[in-house]
Amino acid sequence: MGSIVLSAPPVDASSLVKVLVASLLGGAGLVAIFALGLAGVSAYVGNTEGGAAVAPGRKPAGLMVALTSFAVVIAGVAYGISVLLNSK
Amino acid sequence: MAANDIVLGAVVITALGFDFTNGFHDSANAMATSVATGALKPKAAVALAGVLNFVGAFLSLSVAATIAKGIVNTDLVTLNVVFAGLLGAIVWNLLTWYFGLPSSSSHALIGGVVGATLVAAGTSAVKGHAIVSKVLLPAVLAPVVAGLVAAIGTYLAYRLTARSADRVITKGFKLGQVGSASLVSLAHGTNDAQKTMGVITLALITNGTINKTATTPFWVIVSCALAISAGTYLGGWRVMRTLGKGLVEIHTPQGFAAEGSTSAVLLVSAHFGFPLSTTHVCTGSILGSGVGKRLATVRWSVAGRMAGAWLVTLPAAALVGGVAFKVADIIGGTLGVLVMAFLMAIFAAGLTSPPAGRRSTTTTSTPTGKSTDSRRR
Repeated sequence: MGSIVLSAPPVDASSLVKVLVASLLGGAGLVAIFALGLAGVSAYVGNTEGGAAVAPGRKPAGLMVALTSFAVVIAGVAYGISVLLNSK
Repeated sequence: MAANDIVLGAVVITALGFDFTNGFHDSANAMATSVATGALKPKAAVALAGVLNFVGAFLSLSVAATIAKGIVNTDLVTLNVVFAGLLGAIVWNLLTWYFGLPSSSSHALIGGVVGATLVAAGTSAVKGHAIVSKVLLPAVLAPVVAGLVAAIGTYLAYRLTARSADRVITKGFKLGQVGSASLVSLAHGTNDAQKTMGVITLALITNGTINKTATTPFWVIVSCALAISAGTYLGGWRVMRTLGKGLVEIHTPQGFAAEGSTSAVLLVSAHFGFPLSTTHVCTGSILGSGVGKRLATVRWSVAGRMAGAWLVTLPAAALVGGVAFKVADIIGGTLGVLVMAFLMAIFAAGLTSPPAGRRSTTTTSTPTGKSTDSRRR
């Protein structure tokens, strides 16, 4: 492909960095926040493996963490899709 | 003009057929884990995947613009070139499917169009630096980024829930996977339907039906959305067949993290107009989710096969696209195109109906006896 002219730098570095950062936030970040929410649910309902309560449950803070986390996950997904839609 | 319209019609029908098979092959896999864990009933999962692929097709047009205007010079490309490129992609897809080799329909499509363009109009018609920055570099980086994101996501998911109740975690991630798998379906619709839209748009531009600054017409968006979702819905019944074959052997938190990574990478890249291979992104994410949960479940052979397929797909599809153009050109005009279309139909029919019977038309059995996962996209 000898005669192809490479007039501009072939790498759009800023786009690639944006893709990396946004993927990390959207992919790993939201997954982690969802996991945090599950940890909250677990703290709220208690660890009842094998019938007996292993860890005390009913921690209201757990419920707060859970609700906040799930709200953040839903908002994050909604925000991501809205960005995509508005770029048309 | 009438002759051109016949070729244009052939391009549109072939492109939509390509879109349909894309849905048929790929999309059901997004829902396989949710069905396996019992989070969704098979019927509901298949219907959901179909609907979300349809909706996804309407989300963005950046990738379609890249394919239509970003890789070849629309002034130098003719309708016959687009058609030959499409044939190259389909023939390569069918061959890799038949022999159980991993491939990427996206790379096949781009390779086919570039190969036909090179033969028809020479190197000056190919936008070399755009191909490097919008196709090749993202193709190399996307699986790596997906793997990294999935590894971090998996690590954090296990770390944060390490002391939580198993019952809550299992059920929670199962439900989460319904969401993450839905996003993968949506992202698949966005990324892959747009590739077909891009090719049809390119054909319309080269035919002079629309001018080169025009965006993808609405009827193209709708028909591509319909084709990919119909393919997803009909192909989705294979989920039940593949389930018994040990397709997915990852745990729920890993699957959730892998799907989160896949959908994030695909959607973000679609926003920037990078036409990624969904196959490669999925594979990268699954490998990453293995790394995130210590190296135990990583299938490095998959990574090797993927790298090999990546190296081969673009040039191979380009070769077939180039040859298809040359042969059609020698025969000449519309007749040449129709002859090539006919040959491809015979070729496709020959590959998809082996003498053993009708059973092998699904990907669950392969002539080479390789595992199903080699063809997962």
